[in-house]
Amino acid sequence: MKKRDISRLNLIGIFLSFASILIILQMIRIQNSTKHQELSQWADEEYSYAIENYYPERGNIYDRWGRLLAGNEDVYEVGVMLQYVANPTTIAQTLEGVNQLSYKDIFTAVSKTYDPEKSVYAVLTDFLPTGVIDTLSHIKQDFELTNPYGKKESLPSLRGVIWSSHLKRSYPENSLASNILGFYSFMDREGGIGYYGVEEYYDDLLAGTPMETFMPRNPYLLEELPTVPAGASLVLTIDREIQAMVEKRLDEAVEEHEAESGTVIILDPRNGEILAMASQPRVNINQYWKYEDEFEDKTPFNRAISETYEPGSVFKVLTMAAAFDNGTVDEETIFNDPGRFEYGGSTVYNWNRRGYGKQSMQGCMQHSLNVCLAWVATELGKEDFYDYMQVFGIDRRTNIDLGGEKTWPLSTPGDSDWYPIQLVTNSFGQGVAITPIQLAAAISSVANEGELMKPHVLKAIIQDGKQYNTSPQVMSVPIKPETAKLMTSMLVESLKEESSLALVPGYSIAGKTGTAEIPVEGVYGIDLTNASFVGWGPADDPQFLVYVWIEKPGSSPWGSIVAAPVFSSITQDLVKYLDIPPEENNQTLMAKEG
Amino acid sequence: MARKSKQAYKQAPWRRQIQSIGLSLLPVVAIAIFISLYLIISAQAAAAGLHIMNLHYDEEDILRAIANQRTQLAWITSYSQMQKRAEILGYEVASESNVHFIMIEGYQGQNAVLIAPPPGFENESTSFVNELYNQSLSNWFLNTFFMSSSSNNGRGS
Repeated sequence: MKKRDISRLNLIGIFLSFASILIILQMIRIQNSTKHQELSQWADEEYSYAIENYYPERGNIYDRWGRLLAGNEDVYEVGVMLQYVANPTTIAQTLEGVNQLSYKDIFTAVSKTYDPEKSVYAVLTDFLPTGVIDTLSHIKQDFELTNPYGKKESLPSLRGVIWSSHLKRSYPENSLASNILGFYSFMDREGGIGYYGVEEYYDDLLAGTPMETFMPRNPYLLEELPTVPAGASLVLTIDREIQAMVEKRLDEAVEEHEAESGTVIILDPRNGEILAMASQPRVNINQYWKYEDEFEDKTPFNRAISETYEPGSVFKVLTMAAAFDNGTVDEETIFNDPGRFEYGGSTVYNWNRRGYGKQSMQGCMQHSLNVCLAWVATELGKEDFYDYMQVFGIDRRTNIDLGGEKTWPLSTPGDSDWYPIQLVTNSFGQGVAITPIQLAAAISSVANEGELMKPHVLKAIIQDGKQYNTSPQVMSVPIKPETAKLMTSMLVESLKEESSLALVPGYSIAGKTGTAEIPVEGVYGIDLTNASFVGWGPADDPQFLVYVWIEKPGSSPWGSIVAAPVFSSITQDLVKYLDIPPEENNQTLMAKEG
Repeated sequence: MARKSKQAYKQAPWRRQIQSIGLSLLPVVAIAIFISLYLIISAQAAAAGLHIMNLHYDEEDILRAIANQRTQLAWITSYSQMQKRAEILGYEVASESNVHFIMIEGYQGQNAVLIAPPPGFENESTSFVNELYNQSLSNWFLNTFFMSSSSNNGRGS
């Protein structure tokens, strides 16, 4: 009996031991298999990680008070998992008309044969808003209740239809400030880039760094979870309310004066911050693909930085400032205006071909005398004149932080395309081409005690949860502070004397009109002009500079009639937005404060 | 007699058998307990890992939802919408004669926008997980028995 028990136990033990040895041997064999490395690597590649292309959220763009001008919103891509499609007809009928999809296109896409290697998923449409997806979800659930898993072919089913969300660029203000913002080609989900304006200039910052990431499927590899930072957000110097007001005033003016287009720039001369910049045409940048319909024949997206033109008499501010700064003329200088001026074999006339007799420099500016300014430029001398123009930045880009800035080279003595008469014509803003931002920036130095601040639209960058504010930069100092003050007071007086339409009741404003003739087939005439006005105020402490350019007005060619009233209406609104009290009120407040 | 007494104290065979089986099973049971513990801890770690991965995806969804909500808010407070609402509520643009300026002591005007803190403003980052939970068994053992005894010695001297 004892012998039999032991032998049974031994047998079980031997069997279990043998089985264990076999298992161990098999494990060793698998571990040392020649295919082990290969299989292990394959398993790692296929199952340990999933490769995902991660596009970080594009940074937001805010106005100077934190109001969102460009953000991102949730939209959906809708597609079908071909393996699970139960009823292609229902899918085609339900989605017909959504994003202009046709029944035929949907049916063809949905009816594709499932192939695990080649054909698993088919995209039907993209960029659907949340509302459409909510409706689709309800319909799908209803069908699922009546026909679970789509088993009955005779009953409708949306089985196989799936959707996934992603972010899309969105501009809540539609066309407002579109010339400044530019746009992002969000319809191209993988290759979208910024075009024009802020979207182009700061594209790299806004986009962040898209990356191909290995998302671990193994929960033990947690520490390798990738973190992809969002793109930087930008705070602009633009004020949404001022921008909207300016666009409204500009549109009204262009329509009223039957003009081809118009541009307005408002900047703070103390730091170069652009408060508003409007030009025509504008488009709703949520539908950026339609912009070519509006911007035909190489029309610039933002005329304020991309269109060069002959500015006309507003340029006289720079000529006169240079002459005063250089000491060529002073407040006592008198010019006897005969109404014509001969130089380099050519003759120039005043705008009305009249002579004005003895005039002070203020009189020359007040009556906008070409002949006087031509004389001033020749007295200043060509070398000094062009030196000053270069320091005013007339020969180069302002490097404003907007995509698409253009410039026209300034011909100077020694260049093959420079002729002596150009000194004379350039003095009153003809024969020289600049962009509105170049002129506004140059004249802002007169409003800012001689310092030319770099014009810019970026106020702050928000990156990695921190806000980095930008600092104003001095580009150059073309004239002395006393010259700047003298020019300002002279232009205040000249506006008052001529009872200009640009005057703003209660405020002392310095300014100058401009009417530049546009050559047609090489011949200058008054039929086609650029009417403009540049002004700044309050004169004792300039806080804003407004530049208005109305292109080819039909109602009247003159800047004093077309552009000056636009300046006045804009400035009347502007002083309210900027909380600048009228001079009389300001003095009372100052007295109370004292 | 001696043989008889020796036999009287001898273990019953079934007892010896149980003892030998018990002894041989002891390491197996120990190994089984060890493996069970290992599996339980591994399973918990895997579950926590999956939970964290899900939280990671949830975080992405939440960030997307925040971006969406922010933009939706901007749509309903856009310039044109606010203009319409102001008109409906009976507001109108103030004319020059309606604008009055008054002096307010200490008022510096509207503050510059601050969407995020400036650099240099650092939040003290505190760990959500109690330090005890990050301690290994060996560290706990060393800290509890050796460090405390050495510090006691220190105090005594």
